[in-house]
Amino acid sequence: MKFSVPMPLRLVLLVLGTTAFYMYLGQIVPQKESHPPPPVLINAEMTTEDLVAVGAELASGKGQCLVGCHTVGQSGPLRYPDLDGIGGRAATQVDGLSELEYLAQSLYEPAAFIVPGFADGMQAINQPPINLSDDEIKAVIAWLQSLGGTPNVTLDTDLGY
Amino acid sequence: MTRNRILFGIGVLAFVSVIVTVRLGGFLVDNEYRQPDRQVAAQEELGEAELTPRQQGIADEQAADEAEARARPYEEAEYRTVPFVGSRVTVWVLAQLHLLFAAFVLAVPLFAFIIEFVGYVKKEERYNKLAYEFTKLLSVSFSMTATFGAFLTFALIILYPKFTNYLMHIFSPTFLPYVLLFFLEALFLYSYYYGWGKFGPKMHLFLGFMLNVVGTAIMFIANAWLTFMMSPGKRDDIDGDGVPDFVSAVSESGALLSLRDAFFNFTWMPINIHRIIANVAFGGSIAAAYAAFRYLQAKTDEERAHFDWMGYVGNFVAIIAFLPLPFAGYYLAAEIYAFSQTLGIQMMGGTFSWLFVLQAALIGNLFLGANYYLWLGMGRMEGGVHFQKFIKWLLIAIALCFAVWATPRYAISSVSEIAAMGGSSHPQLSYLGQMSAKNTAVNILILSTYMSFLLYRRTGRQSIHPYRQLLTRAQAIVFSSAAALVIFYGVYGYFVDSATRIRFAIPQVYSVLAALVVITVIDLPLYRNAAQSGETKWGRIPAVSQYALIFIALSFTWLMGLMGYVRSGLRQEWHVYGVILDTSPDAYTPNLGFATQVVSVTVLIFFGLIGVVFWLSSLSGKKDYAPGAAGEGGGRLEGGQAA
Repeated sequence: MKFSVPMPLRLVLLVLGTTAFYMYLGQIVPQKESHPPPPVLINAEMTTEDLVAVGAELASGKGQCLVGCHTVGQSGPLRYPDLDGIGGRAATQVDGLSELEYLAQSLYEPAAFIVPGFADGMQAINQPPINLSDDEIKAVIAWLQSLGGTPNVTLDTDLGY
Repeated sequence: MTRNRILFGIGVLAFVSVIVTVRLGGFLVDNEYRQPDRQVAAQEELGEAELTPRQQGIADEQAADEAEARARPYEEAEYRTVPFVGSRVTVWVLAQLHLLFAAFVLAVPLFAFIIEFVGYVKKEERYNKLAYEFTKLLSVSFSMTATFGAFLTFALIILYPKFTNYLMHIFSPTFLPYVLLFFLEALFLYSYYYGWGKFGPKMHLFLGFMLNVVGTAIMFIANAWLTFMMSPGKRDDIDGDGVPDFVSAVSESGALLSLRDAFFNFTWMPINIHRIIANVAFGGSIAAAYAAFRYLQAKTDEERAHFDWMGYVGNFVAIIAFLPLPFAGYYLAAEIYAFSQTLGIQMMGGTFSWLFVLQAALIGNLFLGANYYLWLGMGRMEGGVHFQKFIKWLLIAIALCFAVWATPRYAISSVSEIAAMGGSSHPQLSYLGQMSAKNTAVNILILSTYMSFLLYRRTGRQSIHPYRQLLTRAQAIVFSSAAALVIFYGVYGYFVDSATRIRFAIPQVYSVLAALVVITVIDLPLYRNAAQSGETKWGRIPAVSQYALIFIALSFTWLMGLMGYVRSGLRQEWHVYGVILDTSPDAYTPNLGFATQVVSVTVLIFFGLIGVVFWLSSLSGKKDYAPGAAGEGGGRLEGGQAA
């Protein structure tokens, strides 16, 4: 006698089996929970060295700089310019802009100058959704200066913005 | 007989159990501990009421609760929670269920109207019947949509009162038109359904047309609310430098600056287009699943033929809408990138990058299922053998494209595997994980599926067009050119910078779209009045094909749930991106494993409910109940002969 699974049961098995298969696929891929970046505290006593450390933290967290956009020390087909050595070459990127002015402009007005070979796309980081404060931006600039240059930004530095 | 007695017995037992439980409870309460009679008498003399220790305890608790309630000042809640499940999951599941039913209710009238119109033009009654069969599914689904819509609204008001209040602040002027349109939709839907055969064909078509217009307008309004949460403004070149600037529809504090900009926000139209197409594909697949369900239930060849044809049409609608869907997806993704690179990168390269590997698996399964169904369908016609030799090549092409599309750039590897590969990406296979390869794969998948459809269309038919050879060769050249162009840009993409590579997607898409249009335009006259080697035998298809249709519907539903997760999850810790922060305990993006669990539960609930819709819809074809006609106290009469 040939055993035959009744049609309703087949339908139930098909629905459960297909759903379970897709759910299983979802379990075997890498799992990553995305949490809001932790708050970064900046106080008036911070030195330039302290700001470099805070800037590095901001770049990979709240500032979202290293989250799929820029890289440090990578080559090949890149989405946006690699930041390795930016502290050293910033003074020569745009005629008439000092190192500090160039870095500040690239953060407050990123569309003002686009590095040749790359597309416009970066948003001003003092505006939502990134929304860094002026002091946090100074910390990011200190970190950028540290990549191939000599950091000299303090919390008292006037960025002109 | 026996079954009814058992059911009756269970009912009586349940009733007796309730009575016994209540009586037992009353007995225990009445006989709880009391103070000795002498002490009670003394208290009564003093005028003190008799209270058992239990009653005293309850009274004390009530007094304490009341005192606490009076002392507590009124505070407006920002969030409320749901035990065990959580607020976010509650709203997530309700929103997804509402959306699935709404998509179905919006899609079915669209193709029911088109099928009815085709029947009117061709003067063929079978199209009219088919459109009516589709429409039968609407009334229960419409109620489900409204129920889940109300449920979702209450859930938002209760669980996210402050945020819901904010959305009301922005969009309250759109609520009245929404309600009026909803009322009109009910009016047109029920007059379209119940008026079948009661109005003249033109009047009935007008009702169907208006049902679609109103339904689309409702969706456009609701889309404004949800897209505002993702992109609360527009981009416009306000300083004249040629670079679009972000123009927010709200101030930094969230106050409304322009309702127009909030409504017609940056991602509104891309979502509208994507949803219309996706709804039709989804609606077609669910309708095809209904036909498959009825086919499998069918008792006669006539029923099988009818539901086979219905399933074919539903699936045809789904696949025709599905083919341009990736292009609409590209457009939406490109607009998200254009609005905010941060959002775009988060979507494709950040938290959600692995989601698109899952999406590839789902879409690959959809393509495989759709092609398999078409190949099985060739058996309906005589002369199908001639084309069957091509199937293996199509299958190879589809399987290869599927594999490329589902290849991740970074592999899931153990430490030893990473060491052996020299990194987290495979030295050769990781090239297939890049956008160039994936774009190429999906375009070839679309072309292959279209080829399957062309073969199906030609099965058992012989063109009698005087230029048939020339036209067939022209089709082959167009097809080959499009495929070659897609592959060329796919390979060339590895040798250019990222900005140029991204732009290569556009000629790939256009060449495929152009090929589909040109080949179709040639095919219509080529096979008009074609000689047929035999009649199409509807119903002559293996039963496994019907399970393939249900599998396609399942995969579509699951895909919609998954894409709902990414669209909402993109905002991360924002209720309204960049404006209103989520400060609830759920202010993080859950991982993919958790999201797929929620999606799976939602899909199972939806299929449970759509099973009810199918069952209720199938009742209309059953014979009417007639008491005393046969058997034990009742019998059945043919439909329409109820006493």
